[in-house]
Amino acid sequence: MSRRTPESFVVLGFATTHAALAAERLLLDIGVPVTPIPAPKGLGQLCGIALRLAPADAVRAEGALANADIAPKARTTMTDV
Amino acid sequence: MRSPASGLQTASDPRPAVYLDHAATSWPKPSQVVDAVSRSLTELGGNPGRGAYAMALAASRAIFDARRSLAGLLGVPDSCDLLFQPSCTYACNLMLKGSLRPGDRVVVGSMEHNAVARPLARLAEAGVEVVVVQADPAGLVDPGDVEREVRAAPTKAVICQHASNLTGTIQPLGDLADIAHEYGSLLLVDGAQGAGHLDVDLAALGADAYATSGHKGLLGPQGIGLLYVASGLDLEEQAEGGTGAGASETLTMPTERPDRYEAGTLNTPGIIGLGAAAQLLAAEGGAFRRMEAELVRRLHEGLLEIDGFRVLGPPPGAPRVPVVSAVHDTVDADRIAFELDRRYDIAVRGGLHCAPWAHETVGTLECGAVRFGVGWGVTVEHVETALAAIAEIVT
Ligand SMILES: Cc1ncc(COP(=O)(O)O)c(C=O)c1O
Repeated sequence: MSRRTPESFVVLGFATTHAALAAERLLLDIGVPVTPIPAPKGLGQLCGIALRLAPADAVRAEGALANADIAPKARTTMTDV
Repeated sequence: MRSPASGLQTASDPRPAVYLDHAATSWPKPSQVVDAVSRSLTELGGNPGRGAYAMALAASRAIFDARRSLAGLLGVPDSCDLLFQPSCTYACNLMLKGSLRPGDRVVVGSMEHNAVARPLARLAEAGVEVVVVQADPAGLVDPGDVEREVRAAPTKAVICQHASNLTGTIQPLGDLADIAHEYGSLLLVDGAQGAGHLDVDLAALGADAYATSGHKGLLGPQGIGLLYVASGLDLEEQAEGGTGAGASETLTMPTERPDRYEAGTLNTPGIIGLGAAAQLLAAEGGAFRRMEAELVRRLHEGLLEIDGFRVLGPPPGAPRVPVVSAVHDTVDADRIAFELDRRYDIAVRGGLHCAPWAHETVGTLECGAVRFGVGWGVTVEHVETALAAIAEIVT
């Protein structure tokens, strides 16, 4: 059995599905790979979908979202999913 | 489809040879709409906003895209301000009940449909003062009359339709917006007969809220309506329930749009079909409107050529949405509608069109009128066929 090195991610949570999808669209448009995942407990009470991205992209992603007025409601980091 | 004037009604295929009831609902639907609804049912069957698996996400994304297409078509800068509602009627209820409180005063034109008149009657029982401004005999609301009433006492809202489902009259919304805002009032609009048939730029129009149907001029399926709410207007939601996102452990609705006003599972097929219609209208709406104007011109002229008809609303050639209603001196409107259906396989609507206020305004509350609504798919030949049939019925 091969052992994977655990990967870390930044996870962004949004108030509405609409906002999460607007964020997904924007980040993909500027070339930041994101994966929608079920919002994890670490985001507090937020449910619905959250966006998972590589830590290396986080600063650029969060800057772009803030500029477009779709800033996340919550943020957490996680290791593997 | 049955051939025109076949007179053969079949239970298995009730489709008319000529369909002139677009003001009630558009039919047939463009193939793009039919295909989109079908795709929604077959491929996008997950519950939008509920779940992060591929099919639920695909449904959510399709709704997101439809909302953006519609926002683009209707000139809404932030698509979150465009809410999906079960119908224009529900949208009007939310617009009115969400903004008015006992003690408020409103000024409303006399051409409103029951989608506005009935919620207002309920609100009046609850203590909202409703002042009705009489429109002229062509169905036009005079901004000067509205201003006089708005100036007379503090007024929470001016309420007016975009266009009449009886006379086709287009109301002067730009002037009404200026008046309402000058006196610190809201402008609330029932746009059921406007969107799709008229250029609607909601950012420029100045309405604080605008409700419309998805299934009339916007060419979408039935069971879907829209409500635009300007970003500054804090409407109170009228339904609570799940939204799939946000803080679902709390028992209050999220404050963010669109979720605050979209409790419960959305009508995904309806929304996706309407989104496809929005794309078609964005590309070809100008050509559709030119065709509609031509059909209206011919209908209006043709009805006046038949002895005994009075056409309601604006004079020939004046702007109107593609609705032409008429009253005959001696032949009852319902009888004309009935015979057009039974003998000629032509679908039109007689009666009061859910708009008794409007009929009262133009003097047809007792007799009703026969209404011809044209739209996508209607041809000049259809109109000529109908005119020939009407001439036979009344002579
Ligand atoms: C002017 C007007 N307002 C509201 C409505 C209600 O629309 P819906 O039946 O789609 O809710 C209609 C439909 O006939 C209408 O013509």
